[in-house]
Amino acid sequence: MLYMVNKSPLMHKNLETCLRIAPSEEPILLYEDGVYAVAPGAKAESLVTKALQSHPIYALKADLEARGLQRCIEGVEVIDYDGFVALVEEHDVVPWL
Amino acid sequence: MTMRNQVAVLMRKAPYGSVYTAEGFRSIMGVGVFEMDVRVIFIDDGVYALVKGQDPAGLDMKSLGDGFPMLPDFGITKFYVHDHSLAERGLTPDDLVMDVEEVDGNAVARLLAESGTVLPF
Repeated sequence: MLYMVNKSPLMHKNLETCLRIAPSEEPILLYEDGVYAVAPGAKAESLVTKALQSHPIYALKADLEARGLQRCIEGVEVIDYDGFVALVEEHDVVPWL
Repeated sequence: MTMRNQVAVLMRKAPYGSVYTAEGFRSIMGVGVFEMDVRVIFIDDGVYALVKGQDPAGLDMKSLGDGFPMLPDFGITKFYVHDHSLAERGLTPDDLVMDVEEVDGNAVARLLAESGTVLPF
């Protein structure tokens, strides 16, 4: 399953609760305000770094660019809209709204 | 003391994920036109509205980061950013599109207490 998170990690617990449920190896896709989680130096950094040990984590490029996020935590894979579509085609989706 | 003509605009949401930041911006312009004393406070995810380098072309939206630095031209000059909100996001004043006064939580509470009206976004 592809777990999709679109909420800011500092205002909402969505990413944290999603990571408690998502089984190891299942991919996590961050989009909209969810991409703030991959900003180096922010409070969610340790949560993401730890999650990367057991999940592939993707962040949507257009949402990163919109928010001025030029750097990502190492290990996060930045994908464009085509990559997004490919992931959704490949997996069943769990929107963690 | 509460000043009836003082308005605090409280910006707490990240840009682009919702309409709040854009609507807050429009409200600031509107209140400014009536020559009221406006204080704009960026706190929590609201500080993200001021981050440099925003490019929402891929979302087919306009950059909100380009809008706020134009507000002083419309007579709106009092901008405050909550220091703790910046720090927990790994940001410093150098990461922002304009000069704003960094204030602590007590100062934010004081600004709100002084204002006759608080517009929340």
